[in-house]
Amino acid sequence: MGVFGEPMALRYLIWLLEGFAVTLLLSAAVSVAATGLGIAVCGLKLSGRRPLVILADTYVSIIRNTPLLVQLFFWYFGASALMPSGLMTWLNTPHVLDAVLVSLHWPAFETIAGFFGLTLYAGAYIAEEFRAGINGVDPAQRESAMALGLRPALVFWLVVLPQAVRIAWLPVVGQYLNTIKNTSLTMAIGLAELSYASRQVETETFLTFQAFGIATILYVAAVAVTEAAGHAVARSGRFAWATQRP
Amino acid sequence: MNFSVISDNLDYLLVGAWPNGPVGGLALTLVLSALSAVASGLVGLVLGIGLAMSAGWPKRLLVVVLGFFRAIPVIMLIFWTYFLLPILFGFSVPEIGTVVVALSLIGGAYLSYAVAAGIESIAAGQWEAGFALGLGRWRVLRLIVLPQALHAMAPSFVNQWTSLVKDTSLAYVIGVPELSFVAAQVNNRAMVYPTEVFLFVGVVYWCLCVSLDRFATALANRRGAAAEGAG
Amino acid sequence: MRRLFLLLIASFLASGAAHADRLDDIKQAGVLRVAAFDSNPPFGFVDPDSKQIVGLDVDYAKVLADKLGVKLELRPTNPANRIPLLTSGKVDLVLANFTITEERAKQLDFSIPYFSSGQQFLAKKGTLTSPDQLNGLRIGADKGTTNEIVLRRDFPKAVVVAFDDTPFAFTALRNGNVQAITQDGPKLVGLLANVPDRENYEIPPFTISDDYIGVGIPKGEKRLADVVNETLLELEASGKAAAIYDAWFGPNTKQPLPRLFKIGDKK
Repeated sequence: MGVFGEPMALRYLIWLLEGFAVTLLLSAAVSVAATGLGIAVCGLKLSGRRPLVILADTYVSIIRNTPLLVQLFFWYFGASALMPSGLMTWLNTPHVLDAVLVSLHWPAFETIAGFFGLTLYAGAYIAEEFRAGINGVDPAQRESAMALGLRPALVFWLVVLPQAVRIAWLPVVGQYLNTIKNTSLTMAIGLAELSYASRQVETETFLTFQAFGIATILYVAAVAVTEAAGHAVARSGRFAWATQRP
Repeated sequence: MNFSVISDNLDYLLVGAWPNGPVGGLALTLVLSALSAVASGLVGLVLGIGLAMSAGWPKRLLVVVLGFFRAIPVIMLIFWTYFLLPILFGFSVPEIGTVVVALSLIGGAYLSYAVAAGIESIAAGQWEAGFALGLGRWRVLRLIVLPQALHAMAPSFVNQWTSLVKDTSLAYVIGVPELSFVAAQVNNRAMVYPTEVFLFVGVVYWCLCVSLDRFATALANRRGAAAEGAG
Repeated sequence: MRRLFLLLIASFLASGAAHADRLDDIKQAGVLRVAAFDSNPPFGFVDPDSKQIVGLDVDYAKVLADKLGVKLELRPTNPANRIPLLTSGKVDLVLANFTITEERAKQLDFSIPYFSSGQQFLAKKGTLTSPDQLNGLRIGADKGTTNEIVLRRDFPKAVVVAFDDTPFAFTALRNGNVQAITQDGPKLVGLLANVPDRENYEIPPFTISDDYIGVGIPKGEKRLADVVNETLLELEASGKAAAIYDAWFGPNTKQPLPRLFKIGDKK
């Protein structure tokens, strides 16, 4: 009681849990996509071709040196004003993608913009973590593998990459944790994730403490569980074997 | 594209309602960033030393507290410090204080790990040399270990400060008139130029963060060169 | 007469109770802290020339501060922050197109209404003519408003997308992300008056609720509430309330609307 008021009705708890589900799904989708993007951008940086390197550097610099909130505002409010109205109409019309087994509902534009903005953001950070991982591999190892007569591509795949992944793994997990927290900013563009849901519950019930308290606990739990899982993978036999130093 | 919306509101974006009202816009972003940078640096240094020098349950407690501040989204912490602390404990932190407190707790939690790692990276021989000179544990830390460790931590501090500059934009949620908030106001008044407004704001933040980064790198290089020259 | 006498006794007893209440705090500090909108013309918005928050709500706030003989200090707010600002003691009053509801009245006290309006919609011309169409549309609303709650309750099939403030919702409408936005009618009229391509939009002539707008006052601050109510009634009696209305909604303004509601019409 007191400042916390009476316990909130089940209906509002369900709103919060729905918001949490959106947060988790969005974080997972963004983490997967951003990992792919990060690897690709890291590849561009290591390609040695000047235009590609400049492209990758520009992207990373723009994303890392501007606030995510401003980026999300830009993608949702700014960029959609630039798109042809036909495309916007198409993006906003509900489509059902019928695959053989699953039929996916076309997400709302908030979700598309949020996913896009968060993926671009996390991708820039993950690219840098991978690059740091590759740079962190002792050059002597590459040289000794070359001395054994292995081709450079093979040396990269067999010697450099496994160790780079091991070095980069925990920092990349750190970016996944940041992604979970960063999804909270998408409430500013109307995406109904956990922070949005907590404000909505607050609007209807005025149970400010409960709404924000539950949301905070769910965020902390999601981050803690993901972090623990990341560390467990890092310690697991398979990961250690795959990345063992020769 | 029509950038007259920027030029018409340039003074508001840069300094807010000043001199006829409180300082806002870019100037307030700079003030918030500077205060948070100093406060997070101090928090990080103190807690990082605590983390490196403690053991047993005090250390575990510290790890849990730091874990909480690393896990909570900045927006949530700003809400807590702004709206909920006054009701819960009866004391009220002014808006700017709220942002600085929230950002320096989170920034400090990240920095403390960098500080602890920096201290732990110093070879045991350095400690032993200090003890051999008859110095106590804290004096060895202060005179021998920290000066070397700080050099190793410098990049973490610069990274964290760049994050701080960006995170000041979240003061938007409680109506602190920093750059992002006044930009939203200008956007709301003009209504049809969101692309121009947010593009401009992005460019300003980019300049700010990149120059901070360049400046810190230049400073570190000069220090490094000076140290090498002296050695 | 008897009621007046009782009121006098009551206020005497209340003031006699020695503890300092918010009214005393305000007078002692010499400052009245008021939360007002900063992006919702003509209720509260930043004037491009003076860089100060001005508007109809602000004019009322100024009168209240003058009445108390203290300085006015405005805090910008969006709809969602109004109640937290008041309950956490960050402001003394909220004057921000604040709709009186029973639910809210459990958290805070309201003055008598000083403005009335109804919940309406803004859409691209020709897309919305009757409330029946609302179910099935994507509709932009403001977080923390009664509009959001009413829409969700009465039109469960409408998809509500909530934004931080009305102009953000309007941008989403303009970009095609939502098909209509909802707010109190006068606020939409004020918004549309400032849109450069206003000929493409319309406010369909139907309302889905009647709203009364009051001053938000911290719970239990009886003396402060009395001063606010007295001042509002004086404003109506002296004709100043009509003058404030005319300054923002009169025939020569950007958003002319006839004044149908007078302070004191409804308690």
